[in-house]
Amino acid sequence: MGTIAQPVDGLRRPNIASADVQIPAVTSYEQVDREIISTLGFTKKWLLGLGVAILAMLVGASAWIYQIYWGLGQAGYEPPVMWGVYIITFVFWVGIGHAGTLISAILYLFRAGFRTSIYRAAEAMTVFAVMTAGLFPIIHIGRPWKFFWLIPYPNWRLLWPNFKSPLVWDVFAISTYLTISTTFLYIGLIPDFAVLRDRETNPMRKRIYGILSMGWRNSDREWRHFAKAYLFLAAFSTPLVLSVHSVVSFDFAMALTPGWHASIFPPYFVAGAIFSGFAMVWTIAIPMRKWFKLEHYITLNHLDATAKVVLFTSMVVGCAYLIEFFIAWYSGVRPEQEFFWNRVFGQWWWAAWIMLLCNMALPMSLWSQKLRRNPTWLWFLSIFINIGMWYERFVIVVPSLSHEFEPWQWGGYTPSWIDMSFLVGSFGWFFMWFLLFVKQMPVMAIMELKEIVVPKRKHAHDGGHH
Amino acid sequence: MQGVLGAFHELDTTCHAIEDLKKARLGDVTVYSPTIRHEIDEAIDAPNSVVRRFTLIGGLLGVSFGYWISIWTGDYWPLVTGGKAIASWIPYTIIGFEVMVLVGCLSTVAGMFINARIPRLTTTVGYDPRFSGGHFGIFVSCSADKASQVEALLQKHGAEEVRREA
Repeated sequence: MGTIAQPVDGLRRPNIASADVQIPAVTSYEQVDREIISTLGFTKKWLLGLGVAILAMLVGASAWIYQIYWGLGQAGYEPPVMWGVYIITFVFWVGIGHAGTLISAILYLFRAGFRTSIYRAAEAMTVFAVMTAGLFPIIHIGRPWKFFWLIPYPNWRLLWPNFKSPLVWDVFAISTYLTISTTFLYIGLIPDFAVLRDRETNPMRKRIYGILSMGWRNSDREWRHFAKAYLFLAAFSTPLVLSVHSVVSFDFAMALTPGWHASIFPPYFVAGAIFSGFAMVWTIAIPMRKWFKLEHYITLNHLDATAKVVLFTSMVVGCAYLIEFFIAWYSGVRPEQEFFWNRVFGQWWWAAWIMLLCNMALPMSLWSQKLRRNPTWLWFLSIFINIGMWYERFVIVVPSLSHEFEPWQWGGYTPSWIDMSFLVGSFGWFFMWFLLFVKQMPVMAIMELKEIVVPKRKHAHDGGHH
Repeated sequence: MQGVLGAFHELDTTCHAIEDLKKARLGDVTVYSPTIRHEIDEAIDAPNSVVRRFTLIGGLLGVSFGYWISIWTGDYWPLVTGGKAIASWIPYTIIGFEVMVLVGCLSTVAGMFINARIPRLTTTVGYDPRFSGGHFGIFVSCSADKASQVEALLQKHGAEEVRREA
């Protein structure tokens, strides 16, 4: 059995259309069941990874307890910079959470063949990334037990949230996104839970998978309604994906602060989110395909197709950076011009250049097909992109607040150890959930993989009709 | 519910058996397949799913609620912000949209559950664990006097196993 899909014959330098991405080394339904279910066994490497993730999560949890006891002053905020690592990391994780629903919903509607092998892992990544992101506004409140004040509910104070505030829009957007992403993930998992229920030999696990599969039987009635529901969920999720990061961008764009008050922000944020989300898919999927021996499911053609998405979104993001500079110059507004000069050549030059290098320059390597089909390079590039996209949010948040209109207001920002502990903790929290997921649930959609496997036929070329 | 169950390993023979069973009108046919196959959909020729109506109704209810809660709470505690109208439709469209998606999706899922008759406590009569693996299955709900006819038809089409269920 080959481990990777071969390029299309007859082309010296094949350029694979995403709809043609198939899994030729997978030939039967039974093989899909066997190989995907085999990924569920516990291993020492997995336990070690989980241990490291839990340790990192505990670093963040300890910092939170410390901050609750001593107050928000322990974080590195100092006027005028009262948003810092918490909001940067919030936007970073919301962005990571975008690729999952983009892959599962938008690429489903566009019938992009390369989504099948990666969408389950990307969907799970979305849910855990949004769960991580959702913690940061609560952490930033300082008194986290008051977070429910943002939710509209009848109360004795007769108070309601201000629906004209971008922060309330955020609550609605993020909570809707988390609910729908989780629902989408679970609905897709129901037929796979039925597979696990029917193959499992351990009675306790069999019972748990039985409950999770809800008595699913693969009947024609179930598939008919499932397919329609999945289509409508995808259709609803598509504008939701685009709206969520647009709403997050409104947190900035609705303010008059230099560098923030720009109409380009929604598409710029959405493109950046897809860019960073795909990078995180690589960070996860490339080691996963190797460790779980799934290289014939996530083939080089799959990686090639995702690399093209990354290359395209990198160019959109790069274009947005350049347009920001151009508009600042063209507007003739002195504080905007001052601000953008300061961003690149002044106080924050190092952060801006990390951003430009990681998000604009390095992804240009993907014009080379050789590099697009090199998993090692893609994995290292994904780390650079993750770093670059975190710094992009740093560059948006900190330089703007530290360099507003009046020179006497200008200041600096240095994150404290508490801020950095939360950053480490967020990665621990995210990877803890993801590692728990990959050993309890199929990392690839068994049901959809079977859809692209050619079924057994008694008579070749017979579709089943007289 | 009693009837006859046939297990097939090939897609084309399954489809032929479905078409002949429909012509013979021996009882209600339920088809099991490890994944969605359009060949089976075409052989069954079932009516379109009504889940879309749940989606439409849920979406309309959601968008109405989103606008209503924003406008009603604005009127209930009038707070003029930046000289803008109390009921500003542009920002409220964000709330309307998000609640439309939320309620629309959840009612789609409810529609799927109701119509697909899940959750169910057991997999009930006429199911075999092979149908989530590599086999296709046909269950014909029929009385004992028609069972032998159904068995003969399923065997004619090359069913790997045919058995009576009760």
